[in-house]
Amino acid sequence: MHIPDGILPLSVTGAGYGAAVATTWYSIRKIKQREDYRQDIPKASLLTAAFFVASWIHIPVPPTSVHLVLNGLLGALLGYYAFPAILIGLAFQAVMFGHGGLTTLGVNAMIMGLPAIIAHHIFRLRKWGDKESRRKTGAFGFAAGVVAMGVSVAMFVGILLTNLPAELNVVTERVAIFALATAHVPVIFIEGTITALVATFLQRARPGILDSV
Amino acid sequence: MSKKLRVIAAIIGVLALGLVVPTAVYAHGVNIEYTSDVEIEIVAEYDSGEPLAGAQVAVYAPDDPSTPWLIGVCDDQGRFSFTPDTSKPGTWDVQVRLAGHGDMIHIPIGEDTAPTGGIGGYTQLQIGLMAACVVWGSVGTALYFSRRRNA
Repeated sequence: MHIPDGILPLSVTGAGYGAAVATTWYSIRKIKQREDYRQDIPKASLLTAAFFVASWIHIPVPPTSVHLVLNGLLGALLGYYAFPAILIGLAFQAVMFGHGGLTTLGVNAMIMGLPAIIAHHIFRLRKWGDKESRRKTGAFGFAAGVVAMGVSVAMFVGILLTNLPAELNVVTERVAIFALATAHVPVIFIEGTITALVATFLQRARPGILDSV
Repeated sequence: MSKKLRVIAAIIGVLALGLVVPTAVYAHGVNIEYTSDVEIEIVAEYDSGEPLAGAQVAVYAPDDPSTPWLIGVCDDQGRFSFTPDTSKPGTWDVQVRLAGHGDMIHIPIGEDTAPTGGIGGYTQLQIGLMAACVVWGSVGTALYFSRRRNA
């Protein structure tokens, strides 16, 4: 899911950085509008660590293996904190694990961060209507995880397909990209399940932690 | 032809045989030439250890880093071999790409050709240690901000 250096043309990586800077600025603005924006920093910090480590844990999906992204979980639990958290996590992943790259940091931040913000808005829908229930939290948590990962995969595939270099065998690469996207279908549901489980667990164990999102 | 002449002719003939035949044998000089073909084999794997089976490979010669000198495909084990043109010494770039994943390795060809080389050489222990440092940094940040809030 991480696009490494040397795959995308400079114009796309530049546009990715531009979009990531704009989204970070907007996220920080939204965070600062809160009454006590420091309150959620410990939660954001711990989930940044979880996001960072997640890409190192490989899940075998024959014939390949995939890893968790957890962007839906971050979006649901952190709201607008998720975008800067993902940006920091991606920077560490690029430098330490070699997952992704520094030139593609902006593009990758958009691929994983923008769906996290969408997940945040989906998870907020649980507050509609009558009293919050664990079932509603679970259902909207699942939806947040599924949609976030689904949108990430779609963005990843879309960006790669529109930037295939001419010297490449386009058909072979296209088949490989679709094979990778197919391998991520189970991950979409795993991410949804993890988000639902964590959200319902927190609602039961520490309900206050979900109040701010 | 007189008898004397015939004898002289016979002597010349024997001499000629003696001179020509052995020298003809020794004159079979041996030409040995050699061309040094350095075959480069690359092995491309994900950091999880799986090979990049069927990945596309583009080899770039030092004199033209924008147009591929050779294009190929890795086998099922992620292996690809090629013989670079040794008349073009310098750094040859080999890019491997599969479904948006991949990397580029720079191979010096010429006097400073190294028998082996690679990229991405962190051991699992090093990666684990680095990951632990980052996680500890995050936990520390979390603890710091929760303390301030409670104070």
